[in-house]
Amino acid sequence: MKAWKIIVLATALGLVGCGPHGAGQKLVAFSQANNAEPYRAAQKSLMEKLFAQTPDVKLVSSDAQQDNSKQIAQIETFIRQKPAVLIVAPNERDALTAVMGKAMEAGIPVICLERDIVQPNYATYIRMDNRAIGRMAGQFMVDQLTKKNGGPRGNVVFLRGLLGVEAEINRDGGAREILSRYPDIHIVADPVANWIQAEAHDRMTEVLRVQPKIDVVYGHNDPMAIGAYLAAKELGRDKEMIFTGVDGLGGPSGGIKKVMDGVLAATFVYPLGVKEAVEVSQKIMRDPSYKPPKVVTLDSIMVTSDNAADLYKKLTVAGE
Amino acid sequence: MGLLLAEDISKHFGGIAALSAARFELAVGEVHALMGENGAGKSTLARICAGSLRPDSGKITLEGREVALNHPLDAQKPGIGIIYQELDLFPHLGVGENLVIGNLNFAEGVLARPKAIEDFSRPFLAQVGLTVDCAAWVSSLSIAQQQLLAIARALSMNCRILFMDEPTSALSEDAAERLFEVIALLKAKGVAIVYVSHKMDEIFRLCDRVTVLRDGKTIGTRMTAQTDRTELIRMMVGRDLDSAARSAKPASQAVTLSVANLTTRKLKDVSFELLQGEVLGIAGLVGAGRSELGAALFGLDPILHGRLLLKGREFHPCNPAQAQRHGVGLVPEDRKLQGLMLQMSVKENATLSVLKRVSRWGFLRATQEKNLFDPAAQRLRLKAASPDLAVGNLSGGNQQKALLARAIFADPDILFLDDPARGIDVAAKEDIYRLIHELAASGKSILLASSELSELMRCSDRILVLKEGRVTGMFAAADATQETIMAAATHSFAQAG
Amino acid sequence: MSAWGLTIQRASRSRLFQVPSLLALVALMILAALVSPTASDGSRIFFEIGNLTDILRQVSVIGIISLGMTLVILTGGIDLSVGSVLALSTALVASVLTRPLLPGAPALHMMLAIGVAVLACGLVGALNGLVVARLQVQPFIVTLASMIGVRGLAKWFTANENVDIGFGKDVAAQFADIFRDKTVVIGSYIAAAIVFWVLLSKTVFGRHVRAIGDNPTASIYAGLPILKTQLWVYSLTGLLAGFAGVLYAAENHQGNPNAGVAYELDAIAAVVIGGTRLSGGQGTIIGTIIGTLIMGVLTNILRLNNIDSNVEMMIKAMIIVLAVAVQRKGRQ
Repeated sequence: MKAWKIIVLATALGLVGCGPHGAGQKLVAFSQANNAEPYRAAQKSLMEKLFAQTPDVKLVSSDAQQDNSKQIAQIETFIRQKPAVLIVAPNERDALTAVMGKAMEAGIPVICLERDIVQPNYATYIRMDNRAIGRMAGQFMVDQLTKKNGGPRGNVVFLRGLLGVEAEINRDGGAREILSRYPDIHIVADPVANWIQAEAHDRMTEVLRVQPKIDVVYGHNDPMAIGAYLAAKELGRDKEMIFTGVDGLGGPSGGIKKVMDGVLAATFVYPLGVKEAVEVSQKIMRDPSYKPPKVVTLDSIMVTSDNAADLYKKLTVAGE
Repeated sequence: MGLLLAEDISKHFGGIAALSAARFELAVGEVHALMGENGAGKSTLARICAGSLRPDSGKITLEGREVALNHPLDAQKPGIGIIYQELDLFPHLGVGENLVIGNLNFAEGVLARPKAIEDFSRPFLAQVGLTVDCAAWVSSLSIAQQQLLAIARALSMNCRILFMDEPTSALSEDAAERLFEVIALLKAKGVAIVYVSHKMDEIFRLCDRVTVLRDGKTIGTRMTAQTDRTELIRMMVGRDLDSAARSAKPASQAVTLSVANLTTRKLKDVSFELLQGEVLGIAGLVGAGRSELGAALFGLDPILHGRLLLKGREFHPCNPAQAQRHGVGLVPEDRKLQGLMLQMSVKENATLSVLKRVSRWGFLRATQEKNLFDPAAQRLRLKAASPDLAVGNLSGGNQQKALLARAIFADPDILFLDDPARGIDVAAKEDIYRLIHELAASGKSILLASSELSELMRCSDRILVLKEGRVTGMFAAADATQETIMAAATHSFAQAG
Repeated sequence: MSAWGLTIQRASRSRLFQVPSLLALVALMILAALVSPTASDGSRIFFEIGNLTDILRQVSVIGIISLGMTLVILTGGIDLSVGSVLALSTALVASVLTRPLLPGAPALHMMLAIGVAVLACGLVGALNGLVVARLQVQPFIVTLASMIGVRGLAKWFTANENVDIGFGKDVAAQFADIFRDKTVVIGSYIAAAIVFWVLLSKTVFGRHVRAIGDNPTASIYAGLPILKTQLWVYSLTGLLAGFAGVLYAAENHQGNPNAGVAYELDAIAAVVIGGTRLSGGQGTIIGTIIGTLIMGVLTNILRLNNIDSNVEMMIKAMIIVLAVAVQRKGRQ
């Protein structure tokens, strides 16, 4: 029986392939909220690729699988390892604020990636203008409805992501801001699908059973928009409405391809923000006098059938 | 001529030696008894010979050739079978299915057709005289029938050697007789039988030889015709026991419990009076209503009709806690299922019903508990290797004593003992009989339900006989004989005109 | 039988059966020391006070829930609803705190919020207990139903939104500051552990709990207060889950109706690894604490060495099976 235990523990030891970093190596820790989302998986792989270009940097990352408590604990353990830089894509703003503050207090520069937190417990916040995206999406919907129905009227369905997240709040709010100016445009349903395609599929099926006529579906990220499309297709109603998403990732499974294929009418390129995060990290690590900018805002581009092919070539990373 | 020879068999469970270099030799065609107190190692030895346990050391030889019995199937092949005390049948499967499961002689493919099963089973069932539907669930059979089924199964495996572990412990006298007939049948067919038991009457009646074990060692083997009770007891116990006969002591005339027309699901119109300081034996066949009487008095079975007067006041038992408060106690029949918390210690089991007495404001006081338990343990001669040992590891006798202690601590006026001496060793039995005697002498009334008539006659002042839920007789112990009691227990009612 | 094996068996039989799990914990800590990354001054990060207290803090919420789960499993039952109850608690405490109910009396307001949350969860537990004891429905089924129902209740109550606890100066933020403090959290766990250790091992109630799980039939014959005991066991579990939810809400600065998913499984794992049998009747609080610590230390080892959290789950599964196998061998 004792031998058993030793074998198991030795296996665990063996898995310590990614063990502690060697002396002289700089440690960068990346705490990701949920690798199951394609956007975030893309963030992770791009980050690994970019940091691999400087072999003196060791990147370690963790996946909180959408669990706040888990991410807090993972960051606490990262703090113990005293990384040179801590990059965090926080799961939810309230929950992660305090622990990122702890990291800052411990002298670890924190880069907050894409989602925000309540207090500015970071050295740099790399944000995308989700509000602008929301407004662009809203305007796009108004234009499409006018084209289709001869005026700004019709039925719209929203598919929402995790509610405690800045991106959701602003992609939703920006769109509503525009749509609220047109009293004849109705948001008939806005279920929550937590950014996940399968959940969006289920929620959309429920909505389709209740709503007799839908003109536009606005998924707050591409996977949810695609899930909605699939649900409508199953019920034979995909021609009745148009679908828009947000993310616009390159590659064969990304949103740009879906615009090219006619599944999505439009999407909005949501920059990964990784290039900028890596840039700032490298500067922090190598230049002791460097003062990182508090906020870096990145813009978005709307993708439609006009520019999809070009953007696809530009944004698809070789080998994807 | 040696058929089976087990030599130098040792087996430890944890740090405890169940068998130490034990030896057992079985001859062809004999019925050989394996005797010993509880904990002597008889069941362990039987299991090792039947392949369900591996010994730590030792050698087993079958007809001169050494065999390795690492698995029950290793034993089945050369024709060694065992019938356990608890009967290892599948209650929710059919009679035929139980016969063919795991049976090397039944060669069917993956799917066994019911007809094939029935054809295979019928002859063996007939041999033991079991006339039941092959598809009937085993759980619907009586214990006696289940046992016959187990024997039929052994026969179907072409058993040459059959171990039977305490076969009559759950049987009525009727069914036991049937079993003895089947054993004679088996012997005539040349099957050698190892009869594990501590019932002297049966051993002297059925067996050719007897081997006595004590504390895991073989003490000796005798021809039954050349030995007697006293010698066997001495070999088993290592000392002479004086079984004190109960001195005829007149109970007082005060009526503690008056039962009138008691009717429950199983009992019909039972009436009797229980005197203070008396031991009232309750006799009857299995299923006659002995345990049901205890259940009714203890609040476990709802009373449909009838009147109980406890010390003159009306008594409506509704649950065990309430019955206990009124001074009624019960030691149930199946100590493992209904009595003991097997993972708790002896002390914890004994004090379980009276924790109020050993606690203050809900907190247990270890010293109070010790002061309550230790004298009782001494008085009952309750010996446990370690006070913290789980009670499931103790011998049957000690387990029963723990339950008795539990019932007594509640200070009952009336105590119902359901087969208290079943399946325990001779020495412990004597201790229990002594206790009953003492309790009665101190003014308590005891209801002693038992299937052993000799026990009833020895301990009781009067004997109440039940049959199919009705009272069929009440005898003063001095006047009763085993025949008269049996007659009342099997008495067939003349239909009321 | 080796002397070592005999020692384990003897210890298991004399009901010090947490010895095997204690050994496992010690073995894990040795492993942790061996594979721990070193800080720049050469000391092993694992043994830093900060890291060790981190572990304690990280296991406190599940640890508190596991205390109640120990009692439930000891009675031969199970409670699958604790995760959902925790979610309900976070929703309630955050909702009460963020409503202007007792302005100017922050301490009272906090006590009200905590009281409402914990009591409501105790009531849920009592309901579980009532159905189990009175209607005699299997605990697995009852608590499965309440797991689903309470989750629905929490989501309905908050309209499936999080209830944010801000970072300002209001009573909610003050609450979060107090109850997310490492010392408070760890202290709460230790306090609860002591209370329940005493309850289980030194009181009449504790004896009844073990007896009922050991042999329900015999408990009837022995006249034990089965209904009352089961009611209390499930209620206490609800209360503990409620309190765990209070700490969770403070740590995460939010009431979250989707919190605590699968927490019941972690609690059950801790209890089982600690030596408690699922069939009931045998187990201790100390064992559960050891089981909780084993999981916490294991997770910490893997995180310090940056091993994928999915691998963590597979190893956890192996440990659970291993733990039960070792204990079964010890009992034979």
